Amino acid sequence: MLFSSLLRRRSRLLVALFGIAIGATVLLGLVTLCYDIPRQLRDEFRSYGANLVFVKSGGTGRMTMGELERARAMLPPEELVGFAPFRYESVRNNMLPYTAAGTDFEAVKKTSPYWRVEGRMPERGEILLGADAAEATGLVPGSAMALDGRNEKQERYEKEFVVSGTVATGGAEDGFLFVNLPDMEEMTGEPDRADLAEASLSADAEKLNFLSRAVKNALPGVDPKPVARVTRSEETVMTKLTSLVYLVTLVVLLLTMICVATTMMTVVLERRREIGLKKALGADNKRVAKEFLAEGLVLGIFGGLLGSFLGLLFSRMVSVSVFGRALAPEPALIPLTVAVSALVTVIACLVPVRRAVDVEPALVLRGE
Amino acid sequence: MFFKMVFRALTRRKGKHLMTAFTVGLGVSLATAMLGVMFDVGDKVNRELKTYGANLSVIPRGSSVAGEKYEFADEADAEGAAGEEGAIDRSGHAGHAGHSGHSGHSVQDFLSRARIPEDELHKIKMIFWAYNIVDFAPFLSTTVFVGDNPVNLTGTWFDKRMVLPTGDEVETGVLPLKSWWEIRGEAGDDSLPLGVMAGETLARELSLEPGSSLEVSTPAGEKINLTVRGIFRSGGEEDNELLSPMKLAQDISGLGGLVDRVEVSALTTPENDLARRAAKNPGSLSRMEWDTWYCTAYISSIAYQIEEILPGVRVKAVMRVAESEGTILRKTQLMMLLLTLLTLLCSALAISNLVTANIMERSVEIGLMKALGATNLSVSLLILSEMLAAAFLGGAGGYLVGLGLARFIGLTVFGTAVEVKTVVIPLAALMVIFVTFLGSLPALRALLKLKPTEVLHGR
Repeated sequence: MLFSSLLRRRSRLLVALFGIAIGATVLLGLVTLCYDIPRQLRDEFRSYGANLVFVKSGGTGRMTMGELERARAMLPPEELVGFAPFRYESVRNNMLPYTAAGTDFEAVKKTSPYWRVEGRMPERGEILLGADAAEATGLVPGSAMALDGRNEKQERYEKEFVVSGTVATGGAEDGFLFVNLPDMEEMTGEPDRADLAEASLSADAEKLNFLSRAVKNALPGVDPKPVARVTRSEETVMTKLTSLVYLVTLVVLLLTMICVATTMMTVVLERRREIGLKKALGADNKRVAKEFLAEGLVLGIFGGLLGSFLGLLFSRMVSVSVFGRALAPEPALIPLTVAVSALVTVIACLVPVRRAVDVEPALVLRGE
Repeated sequence: MFFKMVFRALTRRKGKHLMTAFTVGLGVSLATAMLGVMFDVGDKVNRELKTYGANLSVIPRGSSVAGEKYEFADEADAEGAAGEEGAIDRSGHAGHAGHSGHSGHSVQDFLSRARIPEDELHKIKMIFWAYNIVDFAPFLSTTVFVGDNPVNLTGTWFDKRMVLPTGDEVETGVLPLKSWWEIRGEAGDDSLPLGVMAGETLARELSLEPGSSLEVSTPAGEKINLTVRGIFRSGGEEDNELLSPMKLAQDISGLGGLVDRVEVSALTTPENDLARRAAKNPGSLSRMEWDTWYCTAYISSIAYQIEEILPGVRVKAVMRVAESEGTILRKTQLMMLLLTLLTLLCSALAISNLVTANIMERSVEIGLMKALGATNLSVSLLILSEMLAAAFLGGAGGYLVGLGLARFIGLTVFGTAVEVKTVVIPLAALMVIFVTFLGSLPALRALLKLKPTEVLHGR
């Protein structure tokens, strides 16, 4: 008999604890995600390509690599996804003119992840053909391609490359030829020149404008320009997605907290007999209420702690499976979660306890 | 007798059952709202991503190669300027296009290129995936001279209405297609052939304001007086151009009824292996795969269908837009799916927790019933049906609340209501039954094990 009573009592405690823990899990998990998702999503938006472009100020002439390197150094490294310099030259192949671009392909993979490359990115001495250029020349990976042209001093140059693959983007790139920047410098005999650099930063429009002003002031030769099309669309979509996450979180939290409260109410309500007995034995209302609230508080704290742990797992799981990386837990959220759980539990106890202590002990004890 | 007992129990223990119904209602409203939003979020986000512009570009077959050749043929002569010009074209960035690069263009270059007939464009809205074509706009580029300076004048549809042979009315053009443009003054109007819009950079160079007039001369030497209706800022190379109704550009270039290229914005399904294989060569698919591919809104199948219906064109997917759309769409959907699942799990646990609490306290009642000769089965049935009845009442209310919540979320975030699919109703109902049943089982089992005498005796 003692055992069964204990069992029942313990399971009642467990039920309450469990309910609170669920609430706390949702609370901590969602708030962590809410905090993290906009940042993660912003990284995803980098697949649209560069959002800050550097060109020579004044519109004519070229930048030096030193200038670009200094500009790059001014961008915050933790937000810089990629930084790709480009140099363009007019070249000829079989007397037909093309535009050849020299760049750093490791960086391009980061700034322009949408490039669809058949074959592979070129190594030194190799060349990547835009899809249309490949069609026009009829060259396939492995074939040789000779380029010639004139440098700034009007000297003739010539170099032979091996085709490493083709790239299709559906944009202007389809008509270009791409080689490694050192190859281009070697070919033209003119090092240290760049026409343009693309930077991809996971930052909002305001931050980009701030950065571009800073770079402009420090380096008069470089003109940084946020790519309006990318930044503005990103802001529009990001605002919508972020508010979606916030709103969903708010609704879920509100409903979960109400759920926790109803569970607590049910658990307390069934102890009316106990309250009646206590009162019959001489306890006053205040004392009974205090006792229940203290119990609620302890339950709330333990449930909150348990929930915090589960919530961290929950948010980690979502983050890993959606964005493929674990998020940094926010330690400040744990005491907050515990506090909110305790508060909700105490409030939830307050209502039924208040109603229960007003009841005549005799009535309750008689059963009904 | 059985129903009477269930009914009595429901009415007598009103408070407790109300609580169960309320909690179940909360859970169901949460489930309905989340499921509703989840099923619709792809569509909504897809529409938002349309602000990135067209994801398909339609060009005449053979022109891409020829066009590029001509363009760079001019520039190869003007060595120094060519690099700069290439740079601008590549990044799609405005602000600085040196006009020197364009001066080499002549009318002959334009005439030698292939074109697309304007009066066939409505067919784009008649392909299998017509409803996924959000907007499209044709373009025809020509050069006019302001004083001695050449300026690009591009003819387009601003906001064109047309009636398809099927009877549907379609409204499309560059204004809905490029919804992110900032427009000062009035937008262009297709019915005013001499009203143009000027790009911001060009407007600054020529000090144009909305309402000012501009005299240009055509390559043939004719003088035309244009009215600048508005100034637009696109952040792209268009900022250096004049945008006119199609008719004007066709008259200037002598290309009546023809356009250079068409930009199409379509709602697409993220690509998978099948789509990638098909994009390379549709002929490589088996009959079944081909049907699946053709009847799914992959970007490659929409491109294929446009090529089918408009002879002599080539449709290119703009990878920058198409690939990113896929990535972001997939991530958002996966995120919502996981959030929904976890929320469902949590509300299910909360409901079954409450049901457990509710049953636990009825040990005395169950003991009495068993003492009076009730079998375990009948006791369980009685309690389960009581719980289910309360849960369904709450669930129905919760469904209605959930519809409201989904609507609220849709309206606040996307400005349009979220359509809750009917499939949510059976899902929510299933959840109620399942959760109530599972939640009741452990408590019931524990109670049925109790000996009536012990329970009735008190503690």
